[in-house]
Amino acid sequence: MTQLTVVFRQVPHGNASGREALDLVLLSASYEVDTAVCFIDEGVYQLVKGQSPKIIASKDHIATFGALPLYEVDKVFICEESLQERGLSPDDLVIKAKTLPRVQIHRQIQQSKQVLTF
Amino acid sequence: MGLFDPDMSTFVLFVNGPPYGREDAYTALRFAEAALAAGHEVRQIFFYQEGVLNASRLLSPAADEFDIAAAWQRLHHQGVPLVSCVSASLRRGVIDAEAAEDAEHDSTNLAACFTLGGLGEFVTAAAEVDRVVQFG
Repeated sequence: MTQLTVVFRQVPHGNASGREALDLVLLSASYEVDTAVCFIDEGVYQLVKGQSPKIIASKDHIATFGALPLYEVDKVFICEESLQERGLSPDDLVIKAKTLPRVQIHRQIQQSKQVLTF
Repeated sequence: MGLFDPDMSTFVLFVNGPPYGREDAYTALRFAEAALAAGHEVRQIFFYQEGVLNASRLLSPAADEFDIAAAWQRLHHQGVPLVSCVSASLRRGVIDAEAAEDAEHDSTNLAACFTLGGLGEFVTAAAEVDRVVQFG
């Protein structure tokens, strides 16, 4: 049972959801709360390599996803179908993480005591 | 203190919606009021993302429109702590006296019934309740 699962499901630019969700994940992990992260739907774009948020005056939070292991967040799950539907593969992403079929992502969310969606 | 009630639950609410333009904050308010009326405990309402705009004391709706700031204040008077994320607030121009002094601003606008707090305050409160409910 995971204490908190944070679900990313929006694109990384156009709103600050991804950045503020990531802040929450890192803070939660630093408080030693058992924290998992899921990327589903448009949220998989949060992890795509080679983005340049600074051009649109945004903080580059995408690079900060690389800090998840430092915070000992090892439950990182990426939805396989969401990647496929968008023509993406795990090689396109800034982190190496487990891809899971949608049904298993659902299971992870069900097994979490708390879920916050961004 | 009343007798222990096995049907009583404890809640933390997590509000991401602004005070006007979207329904999330209003729904959170109604949820909190209903939970208290039913004898449950709302341990904290934490405001994040655009939710922090609820903490401005300058909200000025027309006289014939719903005044969400007054409703938050009533809720606070029932003992519910209203905590607005400090970093999300400062980015959006919601500022208390201490932060205004640090940033050398000439005024402040945090409503008296709110406090600015870190995400750590949310995480700590969330770990101790039965349910966390997100709005927006």
